[in-house]
Amino acid sequence: MNMNDKKYEKFRQREKRKKLNNLFQNLLLTFFVALFGFPIYWIFIGAFKEKGEFFHFPPIFWVNNFSFENFTSALSLGGSKGVVDSLIVACIGTVLVVILALFAGYGLGRFKFGGPNLSFFVLSLLFLPPIIAVLPLFIIFRYLKIVDNYIALIWSYFLINLPFAIWLIKGFIEDLPEEIESAALVDGYSRFGAFRKVTLPLIIPGVVVSALFVFVFAWNEFLFALMFTRSNVRTLPVVLSELIGGHGIQWGELSALSLIALIPGVILVVFFQKYLVRGLTFGAVKG
Amino acid sequence: MKEISTNVLIGRNSFAKRITLPSVIILIITVVGPFAFLLYSSFFDWNLTVPAPPRFAWFYNFGLVFKDLRFWNAFKNTSVLMIAGIITQSILGLILAFLLNRNFRFKKLAIIILALPIMVTPVVLGFNWRIIYHEHFGPLNYIIRLFGGAGSSWIADPKLALFSIFLVDTWQWTPFVTLILLAGLQSIPRQVYEATDVDGATGWQTFWRITLPLLRPMFVLVVLFRTIWIFKIFDPVYILTGGGPGIATETLSLYTYVSWVKYWRVGYTSALALVQLVIMTVIAMIFVRKVMQRRRV
Repeated sequence: MNMNDKKYEKFRQREKRKKLNNLFQNLLLTFFVALFGFPIYWIFIGAFKEKGEFFHFPPIFWVNNFSFENFTSALSLGGSKGVVDSLIVACIGTVLVVILALFAGYGLGRFKFGGPNLSFFVLSLLFLPPIIAVLPLFIIFRYLKIVDNYIALIWSYFLINLPFAIWLIKGFIEDLPEEIESAALVDGYSRFGAFRKVTLPLIIPGVVVSALFVFVFAWNEFLFALMFTRSNVRTLPVVLSELIGGHGIQWGELSALSLIALIPGVILVVFFQKYLVRGLTFGAVKG
Repeated sequence: MKEISTNVLIGRNSFAKRITLPSVIILIITVVGPFAFLLYSSFFDWNLTVPAPPRFAWFYNFGLVFKDLRFWNAFKNTSVLMIAGIITQSILGLILAFLLNRNFRFKKLAIIILALPIMVTPVVLGFNWRIIYHEHFGPLNYIIRLFGGAGSSWIADPKLALFSIFLVDTWQWTPFVTLILLAGLQSIPRQVYEATDVDGATGWQTFWRITLPLLRPMFVLVVLFRTIWIFKIFDPVYILTGGGPGIATETLSLYTYVSWVKYWRVGYTSALALVQLVIMTVIAMIFVRKVMQRRRV
């Protein structure tokens, strides 16, 4: 009897410690989530602040009336041009990249076209620091007279996005067994027919994820946009950077525009969080 | 049976060629063209602000790069960011991964909030942290003063500027490290822990002898990806400090940019770019060998 009581007491103590431990971990996690979430919250709240509220001590952590004044004035400050141009570049670029990458990824993933060397070539492009390509691309674009033209940006984004999308889609295709296509081929489908009818529907999630990543990369890209555009084309990051470096301190407008700029990335994180690690590690971690 | 399998093989290669080549050709043009240009121009003493025509100068530019104190300064800054970033983010990321690797309410929400910084537009991030770091109206100094500190001018202080960049990088990329390590933790089978429990191992023993060794491949990934990303860090530095004060926060990418856009030194910048390309190629080769091979590329 006594033995059992002792055991029970020990068990209860252990449970108590576990509970305390859990509480501590929850508190710690809450602290970290708040810490990492705060800068995003600060943009959000900034977009609704009035000018005076930025230059106030102590800083204002909450606003009472949510007015959209900052948004309307930001859009008239060149913001709308930025949004439209970013959309043009990112949309056209994404469609082209995804179509090309879908086929190339299929060729590399299913048929091992070009052997490991070609795959390594595509992969190695992902490690290239973009700054290296800036100078020669600029000279080439100037020679072709497409500086400050949508074509220059869309083309230069191929350098970042095409290898990325090929590699990601290739991974999704490798996840599927080849036998499912063989069956369709035996049934008399052409190669392309088997791809379209059997494989494509199965990798649609992968294609959507790749497309979204490619879109966000193009939408967020700054260095190439800064170098290859002047006044004709002005993507959102360029507009933002000029407002930041400008003489007027338009923090409200900047925050509003920043909030707009964050939308695609937030959508990617919120709805495709499952694929985030897989995309960012080029498929090395399946997540 | 035999007939079927040959039927399946017919047209395989020509089909593969037709669908793969367009992308490959585009990539080769986009990459090989610029690369050939870099290789060519790096051998010339060539400056767009000088009216003299380019002059063939052998390895003159490469010699300049290695004698250039500003290059070594940028190299040092990039290395400091890399080493400090990788160590801090690995430790913090591991703690967060452990905290997330439990069952609790709002788990998904916590992961989403933590993951948001990863996809933030870099320019927005730069602007946002400029406000946060602001000497008079920024929330950071306000909070420091609440706790009795003095506050600082962060990005304007030559002693703190690089640290401020490191802080921003850590804010943005620790969640990425966390997600990788979390994936690693989740892939460790429960039976492993049950076995160590039966054997009577303490929590620390399990951590050092079981969990960390099993996470090793994930740490390799973290180190490689952070190395690659920090190596090309540009946007946040450009927006936050522009490399300043002075050249206190100038990174390799930023110096390459300045060397081109401010001084229009074609030959020198090409050599600078090629040096970085060589460093990056070595890192990429390690990556390909170590990581991708296991996935039967």
